[in-house]
Amino acid sequence: MKINPRYYPAIIIATYVIFLLLGILLGFRPERGGEGHGNNTLIQIAFTALETLS
Amino acid sequence: MSAAVREKPFSLAKSRRIIQWLAVIGTFVLGLRHIMPGEASRGGSFDSFCAFGGIETLLPYLSTGHLLKSTNLLNFSVLIATLGVALVAGRAFCGWLCGLGALQDFIAEWTRKLFGERNHIRGKQSKAILPLRLPTVVDRPLRYAKHFILGIILFASLYTAFPPLREFCPVRAVFSLKMTPLLWLALGIFMAGSILVERFWCKYLCPLGATLAIFNTISPVRLVKDTNHCNNCGRCDIECSMGIADVPINLDHPECVRCMECLNTCLRDGSLTIQIRNKENAI
Repeated sequence: MKINPRYYPAIIIATYVIFLLLGILLGFRPERGGEGHGNNTLIQIAFTALETLS
Repeated sequence: MSAAVREKPFSLAKSRRIIQWLAVIGTFVLGLRHIMPGEASRGGSFDSFCAFGGIETLLPYLSTGHLLKSTNLLNFSVLIATLGVALVAGRAFCGWLCGLGALQDFIAEWTRKLFGERNHIRGKQSKAILPLRLPTVVDRPLRYAKHFILGIILFASLYTAFPPLREFCPVRAVFSLKMTPLLWLALGIFMAGSILVERFWCKYLCPLGATLAIFNTISPVRLVKDTNHCNNCGRCDIECSMGIADVPINLDHPECVRCMECLNTCLRDGSLTIQIRNKENAI
């Protein structure tokens, strides 16, 4: 399927923003006040779910 | 009498240039923000906005559960975003969003103007003596250096407290505004290299580029050549900042940064098109 070159920059920027938000939603963000280790809430939930399933 | 309204033709090169300037300014603001009083403690260090920082700290994080100093979890988000772009459009991050890549394009343009090319005519061989195009016999082996550097950094990351590239990183040297003697050296090498060879850092030394290179062959959004239209005029070869030879037959080349300058330069409508890979056009 052909893509109009006009939309190519938008595709790149949108992809970057979507994946960046995905990373932040997965919990990969700094804690306020320094080089924190964040809370990977979604990842912890995923691990708990996997452990429960297994 | 109504004036005829003519729509301006869309320029992919112009859009790219705007995005590249935004990338350079954005990275500079990150560096500036970090030297402001009291700002350094908010949201992590300058390094924590680096995609490659995520790669450097990944193995220590997986093996020990601890991140390298000066990195934090935000590095993984930036890495996920960069890999997301790579999954969709190959090394487009290098060609469109990387501040350092943009700076090299600007340096190459300014160098050409300074060394003999007043007006650049798209698709025509530059008369400027700099930047150089290294002979293939030198260029090809040097291209493997970035993969070697990537391997060394991944190995070293298991044994160091800080990201191994940190003290030599040209992004820090250019944008972080916190200089050390080693960073001055890195800045000097980066500037001299970029003046001598177009996209010197991307071609030979960038370990992030080495990581993203593998995605060029699998990404769905890519350039496709129509053999019925292309007459192999070679205009696209001249404009390729990564120095890829025979561009129309190397559209999925690992060195391609998907800048689309070849598409901009092509005079024959339909020779090169951006397409989503499917069963019919897959190689």
